[in-house]
Amino acid sequence: MFDLSSPIGLALIAAALPLAGAVLAAILGWSKLGRFAHLPAILSFASASVISLLVLAGVIEGDGALSMSADLGTWFSVGRLNVTFAFLLDPLSLVMLCTVTFIATFIAIFSAGYMRGDAGYARYFSIMSLFVFAMCLLVMSNNFFVLLAGWEGVGLCSYLLVGYYYAKPSAAAAARKAFLVTRLGDVGLVLGIFLLWQAGGYHTTFDSLFDHIAKYPPASGTITAICLLLFCGAVGKSAQLPLYVWLPDAMEGPTPVSALIHAATMVTAGVFLLARCAPLFVLSPEAGLIVSCIGGATALLAGFLALAQNDLKRVLAYSTVSQLGFMFLALGCSGVISPKVAVVAAMFHLFTHAFFKALLFLGSGSVMHAMGNVIDMRKFGGLRKLMPWTHATFLIGSAALAGVPLLSGFWSKDQILHGLLEAGESHAKYHTIYLGLFAVALATAGLTAFYTFRAYFLTFWGTERIPHEAHGHAHESPAVMVVPLVVLAVGALLVGLIVDPLTHGFGHFLERSPSIANAHAGYLAHSNMVEKPHAFSWLVAGLSSLLALGGIGAAFAIYRRGGPEIVPAKLKPIYALSQNKLYVDETYAAAFVKPAEWLASTGRQFDAFLDAIARLLSFAPRLIAGLLRPLHNGLVQFYALGTVLGLAVFLTVVVFRSAR
Amino acid sequence: MNPLSSQALFDQASLSIRFLLPELTLVGSACALFLLAAFRSSRRFSGCLALGAIFAAAGVAFGIPEPSFLAADRFTAGIDPTGVAVFVRWLALGAGVIYALLGFSDSSRQTAPEYFGCLLVVLAGLSMVARVNDLLSLFLALEMISIPTYVLLYLPTKSKAGQEAALKYFLLSLLSSGVLLFGFSYLYGLTGAINLPLVAETLSKASQVGPVSPLALVAIVLVIAGLGFRLAAVPFHFYAPDVYEGAPNGVVAQLAFIPKVAGLVALARIFGLLTPDAPFDAARTLIPLTLWVIAAVTMTFGNLLALIQDNLKRLFAYSGIAHAGYMLIGFLVATEAGAGMQSGFDAVLVYLVAYGLMTVGIFCVLGYLTHTGRTIETVDDLAGLGRTNPVAAGMMGLFFLSLIGMPLTAGFNGKLLLFFGAFETPPTTPLKDLYRILTLIAALNSAIAAVYYLKAMGVMFLRAPLQPAAPAKGYAAFLAAFLCAVGTLGLGVYPKPLVDAARKAAPIPATKSPTVLVVSK
Repeated sequence: MFDLSSPIGLALIAAALPLAGAVLAAILGWSKLGRFAHLPAILSFASASVISLLVLAGVIEGDGALSMSADLGTWFSVGRLNVTFAFLLDPLSLVMLCTVTFIATFIAIFSAGYMRGDAGYARYFSIMSLFVFAMCLLVMSNNFFVLLAGWEGVGLCSYLLVGYYYAKPSAAAAARKAFLVTRLGDVGLVLGIFLLWQAGGYHTTFDSLFDHIAKYPPASGTITAICLLLFCGAVGKSAQLPLYVWLPDAMEGPTPVSALIHAATMVTAGVFLLARCAPLFVLSPEAGLIVSCIGGATALLAGFLALAQNDLKRVLAYSTVSQLGFMFLALGCSGVISPKVAVVAAMFHLFTHAFFKALLFLGSGSVMHAMGNVIDMRKFGGLRKLMPWTHATFLIGSAALAGVPLLSGFWSKDQILHGLLEAGESHAKYHTIYLGLFAVALATAGLTAFYTFRAYFLTFWGTERIPHEAHGHAHESPAVMVVPLVVLAVGALLVGLIVDPLTHGFGHFLERSPSIANAHAGYLAHSNMVEKPHAFSWLVAGLSSLLALGGIGAAFAIYRRGGPEIVPAKLKPIYALSQNKLYVDETYAAAFVKPAEWLASTGRQFDAFLDAIARLLSFAPRLIAGLLRPLHNGLVQFYALGTVLGLAVFLTVVVFRSAR
Repeated sequence: MNPLSSQALFDQASLSIRFLLPELTLVGSACALFLLAAFRSSRRFSGCLALGAIFAAAGVAFGIPEPSFLAADRFTAGIDPTGVAVFVRWLALGAGVIYALLGFSDSSRQTAPEYFGCLLVVLAGLSMVARVNDLLSLFLALEMISIPTYVLLYLPTKSKAGQEAALKYFLLSLLSSGVLLFGFSYLYGLTGAINLPLVAETLSKASQVGPVSPLALVAIVLVIAGLGFRLAAVPFHFYAPDVYEGAPNGVVAQLAFIPKVAGLVALARIFGLLTPDAPFDAARTLIPLTLWVIAAVTMTFGNLLALIQDNLKRLFAYSGIAHAGYMLIGFLVATEAGAGMQSGFDAVLVYLVAYGLMTVGIFCVLGYLTHTGRTIETVDDLAGLGRTNPVAAGMMGLFFLSLIGMPLTAGFNGKLLLFFGAFETPPTTPLKDLYRILTLIAALNSAIAAVYYLKAMGVMFLRAPLQPAAPAKGYAAFLAAFLCAVGTLGLGVYPKPLVDAARKAAPIPATKSPTVLVVSK
């Protein structure tokens, strides 16, 4: 057993608190106190957040590896596999734990205002707490079993929350889509885990597994296969090409749920998984290249799709897909440049993105709340005066997302771009491709600034237009919703600057994770590289600032008068392409769903055929039984005769055959 | 010393009595109940008295140590309290508790003392089947089961079907007892002994020197036929469906289980399967093949006819026949006992317990439902039970799943042991691959059986209720059903204690003398 007051004990308490919150909220829901169901959720998240921040404060000083593990007993043990409830506290999990609980606290506070009066109030907070708990379990895990438990728990809770308005067919469909599409990736993940066990000598904890692989490296094809299969899981969960389609549809849930999914609890799981498995990815440059390429393609494509969406939340959803693409771009570099740069850049972007994306979603929720649940930007506009707090905080969030210099998004994006450039300038095998990806990332950065501010201008600038659904009750949201916006806006403004460029604390702290340190060692051994000091590059910073400001300027030039949107005739086809999401959903339907349906109907006919045969076969026993039935005619003398005859037959056979 | 001298006789008798104290407790209580019937007949009073008698017997069995018994005593003693005797005694007492609880809802007020008295005698008889050590007392013990059953069948009969059932059972049972006694007389004539191990050993020795005597074969076939009636093995099964149909639930529950235990244990003891040193060698004859045929035909016949039954009791009569077939597999494997065997009679014992739990459990649920004012005659009467009586239906569903042989139920473990034992029997035995074929037949039969069990379950859970929810009454039967359900599930999840107990009761013989394995066809 371990000490509950040790850092890992406290962290486990923090991780378990949301579970208690979920149970309490559910109990409140059963009783008549359902309207207080937000209290357990908020209190458990807040205390978990405080505890994890205290733990962070306790361990942040110092050098050298930081890793504590705890076993809470054996789950099951089969053959060579001994599976325990193993947990791990290292900088990677601690940063995730702090981020998740901190962001979730404010989302929960916002939800208390946003969801007030809803019939499923208690259900909402109960599942939300469970959602956060599953994510905590995921990040604290020290083996793939606990990780998978958290991973699937997250998937289940997202299904329940996206389908929160289950009576609405589109919500039910979106929930199903989210669940099924991410399951598709999970198949790969599970296969990858199996393969990893095989290659890793059936160890279970991450460290011993990676150590075993470092000591006895399997064939490069095997390691690439493992990496790509694990990446499959990440592609599903983190909404990358080709499985990103579920995320934009997941808008059907309540808006704070979107904030939770996009910022803290769900889509970051894939990034975390790859960061955790960095020691594997440094061993396979090919897998890294594929990760980067998929990340780059997703970033660009999603950025393009976000250009012409009319739904404010959809714009934000595509921007999440695009930003996650950025993170994978960085993660994929980790075999070419030091994981200390690549993984840290991805995690840093995840961290800052959590703040401004939660802020933007909550801001859009605030708008939606005021507009009577209308989120179509064509129907409203010019809300600057009406909703001053929402406007100001949304502006900060947009600027951070666009990458305006000195805001948090700028710093993390800069690290990613820098890493890509470094990879492109290296002498690795695929460095030209990385140079190309650098260009893609730059283009996406420009696009990001443009579409973000398009949405901003369309919503807040121009003449004031309010949809009739708002019934003239359009107003600024109550304090319970505004305060979280302000807190997150402060975070979006400053957190990037404080934690890294000023102090270099973030990167330095993360490097103390054994998995990143091991990955770094593996990288040095694998590529014979000399470690270069990481320096701030004015070239990259200048380029990205220029693009960000250029994008904002372009948006200002076109959209400063607000809606309705006028599209130049020459750009109409491109606009339509973007608006219709490049017809990806339709393509998928034609390429996968239709053949599957055909296969299913053929299978059904075949099944009917087999059924007929089975029926024919099953008729035989009844037929025979029907023939035997007259034997039981109810006459006792016949029964006695039967018995005696049977005896006589046996006697004859046994005695005469044997005596022969 | 003259064995008939009064002092030796007295010593022997007093020794025997000390081995039979729990059984004597049961019989004594039964006598008290019969006497009591003249003065007071109350269902609750008699039932509680019977339960008390069973617990007292258990207390005696547990608390009073038995005299020491040496393996060599087996050839002289009147009682053999080792091995299977202990297992069957506890089985009888455990089943007795269930039956007594079921009796609360099954007996009528006027005849309650007789009902419970007969039950106690039956239980004592069952326990004695496993411990008496000579042919005569074995026959008596078997009749201690049969005769009270006639009374039990006749007790509640106001209906014509009931009278018919009682009469049919009486006549056919007499016929089988006659056949059995005929067989016993041949055995005595051949060996000059009535002591069971002595009979087996004499036959065994005789068969090792010369050819097997045809008279011995006649005797064995007669014994198999006589006890086959108790098992309800084809073609000695004819009585089962008619008798089940006309009898009350509690009596059917006894009929379905107790004669099967008694028959199988008696067969095993006569064949010497439970005394590892002297198994009777029948392997050279056609006896194993005969048993093979009986087993295969019994299970197939039972399952096929169960498939077309609408009446629940008839369905369970045929299902009981089919299960007797499965158990005969284990018995057959046990006759082959030798090196490399995975299981012997222990598998049969495990299956008997599992079968008892699930079948008696079903009749307990039926007793509970009948008591609450429903009439449950046909499968269709179960319609919608899942909605009107969800707990009862849930337990019933569990028993059905166990009868099908679903994993995590006792039925699965029983089938697994039986089938596995047959499948793993080394091909050096005289029947060679026939064991594997028998396993295949049994597996096919399990599939056929699943059809009618699942159909009944479907009726229970998927159809609309025909009768309104019954008021909750008959807690005793409900408790009995609940105990069976707990046992079914508990021994399904954790069968080790039962398997260990069965192994202890019927150890697998380590080796067999090689001469016996010679095939002479």
